[in-house]
Amino acid sequence: MRKRQIHAWGLLLGALLSPAGPELSAADKLRFNRDIRPILSDKCFHCHGFDPKNRKAGLRLDTFEGATADGGIVAGQAERSGVLERVLSHDPDEVMPPPESKLGRLSEVEIDTLRRWINEGAEYEAHWAFVPLQKPQLDAWLRTASSEGKKTPIDSLVTVGLRERGLSLQSAADDATLARRISFDLTGLPPTEAELADLAAGRIDLEAFTHRKLASPAYGERMAADWLDLARYADSYGFQVDREREVWMWRDWVVGAFNANLPFDQFLTWQLAGDLLPGATDEQVLATAFNRLHQQESEGGSVEEEYRVEYVADRVQTVATAFLGLTFECARCHDHKYDPISQREYYGLGSFFQNIDEAGLYSFFTPSPPTPTLLLMDEPAKATLAGLQARVGALEERVGAMEPLDRIALRDGVPVELQGQLAHYAFDHLDGNKLADSLHPEPTPPKKKPDPKSKPPASPSAMLKGENRLVPGRIGQAVQFTGDDPVTTPVGNFHRHDPFSVSLWLQTPDVKERAVVFHRSRAWTDAASRGYELLLEEGRLKWSLIHFWPGNAISVRVRDPLPAGEWVHVVVTNDGSSRASGLRLYINGTLVPVDVVRDHLTQDITGGGGDTIALGERSRDRGFKGGLIDDFRVFSRDLSQPPRPGLEPALSELRAARAELTEFSGRQKEIMVMRELPEPKTAYVLTRGEYDKRGEEVVAMTPASLPAFPADAPRNRLGLARWLTDPGHPLTARVTVNRLWQSLFGRGLVKTSEDFGSQGEKPLHPELLDYLALRLIHGGWDLKALLREIVSSDVYRQEAIAAANVMADDPENQWLARGPSFRLPAEMIRDNALAASGLLDPTLGGPPVNPYELAEAFKPFTLAKSGSTLHRRSLYTTWRRTSPPPAMLAFDAPRRAVCAAKRERTDSPLQALILLNGVQFVEAARVLGTSLYRDHHGNVDAMIHHGFLRCLSRPPDARELEICRRLHAEQLAHYRTRPQEAEQLLKHGVAPAEPGIAAPEAAAAAQLALALLNHDACVVKR
Amino acid sequence: MNPSTHSDPVPARLLNRRQWLNRSGLGLGGIALAELLAGEQAQAAGVLGGTHWAPKAKRIIYLFMSGGPSHLDLLDYKPLLNQRHGEQLPDSVRGGQRLTGMSGNQSSIPMVGSPFKFAQHGRAGAWFSELLPHTASIADDLCVVNSMFTESINHGPGVTFFQTGSQIAGRPSMGAWLSYGLGSENANLPAFTVLITQGKGGQPLGAHLWGSGFLPSRHQGVLFRAAKDPVLYLGNPPGVDPAGRRLLLDRLRELHEHQFAGTPDVEIHNRMDHYEMAWRMQSSIPEATGIEDELQHVLDLYGPDVKTPGTFAANCLQARRLAERGVRFIQLYHQDWDHHGGLPGALPRLCRETDQPAAALIKDLKQRGLLDDTLVVWGGEFGRTNYCQGKIQANFGRDHHPRCFTAWMAGGGVKAGSVFGETDEFGYNIVRDGVHIHDFHATLMHLLGIDHERLTYKFQGRRYRLTDIHGHVVKGLLA
Repeated sequence: MRKRQIHAWGLLLGALLSPAGPELSAADKLRFNRDIRPILSDKCFHCHGFDPKNRKAGLRLDTFEGATADGGIVAGQAERSGVLERVLSHDPDEVMPPPESKLGRLSEVEIDTLRRWINEGAEYEAHWAFVPLQKPQLDAWLRTASSEGKKTPIDSLVTVGLRERGLSLQSAADDATLARRISFDLTGLPPTEAELADLAAGRIDLEAFTHRKLASPAYGERMAADWLDLARYADSYGFQVDREREVWMWRDWVVGAFNANLPFDQFLTWQLAGDLLPGATDEQVLATAFNRLHQQESEGGSVEEEYRVEYVADRVQTVATAFLGLTFECARCHDHKYDPISQREYYGLGSFFQNIDEAGLYSFFTPSPPTPTLLLMDEPAKATLAGLQARVGALEERVGAMEPLDRIALRDGVPVELQGQLAHYAFDHLDGNKLADSLHPEPTPPKKKPDPKSKPPASPSAMLKGENRLVPGRIGQAVQFTGDDPVTTPVGNFHRHDPFSVSLWLQTPDVKERAVVFHRSRAWTDAASRGYELLLEEGRLKWSLIHFWPGNAISVRVRDPLPAGEWVHVVVTNDGSSRASGLRLYINGTLVPVDVVRDHLTQDITGGGGDTIALGERSRDRGFKGGLIDDFRVFSRDLSQPPRPGLEPALSELRAARAELTEFSGRQKEIMVMRELPEPKTAYVLTRGEYDKRGEEVVAMTPASLPAFPADAPRNRLGLARWLTDPGHPLTARVTVNRLWQSLFGRGLVKTSEDFGSQGEKPLHPELLDYLALRLIHGGWDLKALLREIVSSDVYRQEAIAAANVMADDPENQWLARGPSFRLPAEMIRDNALAASGLLDPTLGGPPVNPYELAEAFKPFTLAKSGSTLHRRSLYTTWRRTSPPPAMLAFDAPRRAVCAAKRERTDSPLQALILLNGVQFVEAARVLGTSLYRDHHGNVDAMIHHGFLRCLSRPPDARELEICRRLHAEQLAHYRTRPQEAEQLLKHGVAPAEPGIAAPEAAAAAQLALALLNHDACVVKR
Repeated sequence: MNPSTHSDPVPARLLNRRQWLNRSGLGLGGIALAELLAGEQAQAAGVLGGTHWAPKAKRIIYLFMSGGPSHLDLLDYKPLLNQRHGEQLPDSVRGGQRLTGMSGNQSSIPMVGSPFKFAQHGRAGAWFSELLPHTASIADDLCVVNSMFTESINHGPGVTFFQTGSQIAGRPSMGAWLSYGLGSENANLPAFTVLITQGKGGQPLGAHLWGSGFLPSRHQGVLFRAAKDPVLYLGNPPGVDPAGRRLLLDRLRELHEHQFAGTPDVEIHNRMDHYEMAWRMQSSIPEATGIEDELQHVLDLYGPDVKTPGTFAANCLQARRLAERGVRFIQLYHQDWDHHGGLPGALPRLCRETDQPAAALIKDLKQRGLLDDTLVVWGGEFGRTNYCQGKIQANFGRDHHPRCFTAWMAGGGVKAGSVFGETDEFGYNIVRDGVHIHDFHATLMHLLGIDHERLTYKFQGRRYRLTDIHGHVVKGLLA
């Protein structure tokens, strides 16, 4: 019975709801964007819209030309229009939308609206969000406001809208309420008691108060909290492995940029393309980490390209959501169904974001940030680095050019010059699985029994593993490899600055697409190939020294393929310069020409495990199947140079200087950023969005339906930033001011802050949105100025409560007939309790910290024993994607897997449990209770009064005083009979208990404080 | 609970005072009403306000075996692999399947037969390995699906696909969709709960697997922990007893009533309700999770681990208790099925941990008459290869295999005592009746009375659903 009733109500409501929200008077002419587009977009565009592949019967209804071409719409004659006939039909084969679409029939109201619009001439309009902003309107609105005596056009524009509904603005809320509202909105923290007192006494006014809040460092922290959602900021990589990563330096940059009031167009440009700015500073490059904050993968066995493609897609989605307010993601697999974005344009936008030297997987075995990166150094460190580099440069000059030998002489298959030889494996005899180093024979085992406690000495021999075997070789025997088993050696953990060489004979049975000949590394992608390696790639030898493949490595590849089935003598050398030109290959004694594959090595090649040379196999890489290796020699010398004893002192000084540089660079903080490749990578349309289904090539482009790309702008991210911040761009400013409005009012002027396309909500106050956008653009993109204007407006300062019918009819406050009111966001809920209790540690910036709730996270964290990191602002709470802070999640913080332009807002009993029982809130209550007791020597009325000021920013009224007195008396009586309970309560958290206060008194005060911290007016902004 | 960002205006004249007081944007137009009208009842209705047709099942218990159990060693018997043990997998069978980076670069991929004995059980003659004696004993209650397939070859995307219908993390999970669509049968318990076997290694799980994605966050799974508090901060802190807490709540209610008088905002009334609900949950959840009232013969059914909190056995018993109390979706996870090596040693251990409790859950539900409207599902994110990873040796392993694997279902409207789908004699490809994840989801929803194409949520301009734009109900699985 109940259910049927519910259904009936639902239907009734559906029928009564007009499609456009506010009631339309019969006199108004219908407007396409306001009245018609929502119907067509929802019910028709899927099959009759922008996407030609999906278009049915060749009919498109998103343009006048398309709709009228074949009689779908006959302007002025609804009854002759095919569209109307089809929506009215009850024949399942005829009716539109068709039953199988499951979109349901158009309502009678919708049909009437369509009919009327067609009869009125079926006038189309460009989608409202794509209509250019009109600068002259800005001046007209300003003039009107001033002629009406309004502080700002915000007030005049909203007043006009309200007047149409027979409403007017509410009166201004009182100063204390406004101080609380402004303080949370601009700093995320409540006003201090002193500020409230100053306001009450008239020592400052709200203007001065606003100014103070905007100038406070807490302003940047509050603004950053929203920005982190957009930037999908997290202190871990996400996906399955979800290793922690250091990117907080970028978060600190964001806070600083807001505090410095960096104009928003620059704020955007630096983040998208700071690396491309002429003479880019470290700070500008750091800002580009914005593009790298997406989730990243390192699960073993994952396909590298699959994830690289995913990263690029995430960058596109983030930029589209954050700056364009468009759901570009839909066009990844096909042309957008609702908005004019083609799949080609999607990949065209993507091509801006793929031109960095990155890998699709981060390194499992090293903590190094994925390339490209930036070293983050303070000025002294930069000077030190520059000094070390200069010293290396000077020494290189002193040593002079070191032209390589053209030939390395061989005699009987062995290099004539053997100086610096470290190890020599002839691979002639197998002793067990040992292959002797002829320079370092196995020590004879001691006669007496070895001490079981002492480790046996490391064997100098190489080890033959698995099914590898000895076969007749070039000189005596050689190893033949299965491709799945290595020969390991105990030598070869060279630094990048160590000159070294390897000499060997090898024979490949066939043309290898990829094969590992030898390497010093733990793994391929799982270690970002950290170390050095000689590979066969498409039959050619490739010699590389690698910190993090591909962005931090030097690598050269021989031009000619290696002949198959022939013994070839190979020498590979490194001169220690960390330049590709210092890598050389000799084939059969002759220096061979190479192509440079990579030439950027700025960090060391050690670490990550796999410290010694292994031959013929590597973890999850392709081995040297069927290949032969013989006479393997390792040298701690660059064999491309003849021995030059006279130069040795200078060379050794150079080596020491390089070592110092390596060591110093390795100690610096490093963060992933964008660094444009000299040549862009080719971009493709990916069929159905699949990484391995490349279709046609595309060039960098922006959608044709939006303003043209500036003719003189480079086709890269910098040009894209210019396009986005062009004063004529219809979206960037609208989308930005809408989010600002959302952060103050709890709802954007466009509710769908992530979607300004035709499926998004059209604003009820489009002129207000345009005014704010124009104000931002023509006010120098000054966010603080815009915020000041909004919070000074009468619209913002209204009382949050309006007449009951207004509250009921407009529950979301879309009309703006009252001031903003909503439950504080997750960060503010906790920060407020910290501030009210006096626990808040206001330290700005730094590495993330672990508050109490992380001990309860899905993957619990270990907490610090002291309070120093427990009571920081919530902005600094460690954000681990697979194990986010559970209390923040319960208060609707998004998971930060992808860009989020707005938060859901829900209330639930789980939130009540957190506020009543969570360690942080109980600790805050007892600390606050104790301080109230101490300050007022247990005078209950004074404690209540003061507690109200701390938690609610206002004094209690008589009834509240009475309730709280009773509350306190009851709790005191309760704890007096249970002093042990009181003692227990006072142990919550790390803050020390105050000596000299009886436990029942302190516990009762804590309960009083807990009630106030749970009070509606403490957690809701009004 | 009011996701106020999801409401459309409701004309006030249609609501009486109490209704509009309750109204604070509970949902979509009439749906909001549905919820608030039911708010004072024992249940909270979902957005559908009912089902699309009479449901066969009212709830799901999903036993997720994370890591990818080997179908070839448990349920999909392939004697050919024993006959051709050590031979290379023919290219014609592999047919261009992409391999993971784990074994993709191996020089040889030899097939390995299962070292475990198989026998047929039940009316349908389903094959069970000797490692699953208890599961075999309930063969006539099971619908064994040998033809599951997926596109994922790695764990992260694989598990995410099963739980959310998408390989990339961020979409709502299945339980969240059901909570959203059908609501809760017991307003004092979350509609979607998650239980994870404690102390298991293996491939990590993440909280996104039971997240609500773009759905309102109250639909996210609530992780019942084996800790003192099954729900975050459920218990009163030490130093607060129920009597003292009740006094505090009574005064807080007075403060809120007074606040409402001066600030007539419906949110205040909602908040008051939530505090009362929180108070009730403080007893309803411990009541649901405590097992003091369980009879010995029932405990014996689940095996010796049942009294150790956090074991799979304990969680299976919890699942039954939550099902009895009307929890809509009960998600269990048991990790560590990822046997790249050491499979012959590891698999018996995993089966010892899970076989008896899973079978006991079915028996226990059945003896209480709950199996009729409870759907139980067992399975992992993919299967394992018929060739060995690395070299053939006694303690071999198998790599990930997406092309075919086995799951089973029981209860709530599935064909009991049946085997569905078939793989080739190599256990590598499906030859009949493949069931994709999207089909699987569509079928589960069908059994719960939902047309998977009609449970949608509009987000970023698009109507999303669990099955994306795919999925067909697999009629052959239905009773």
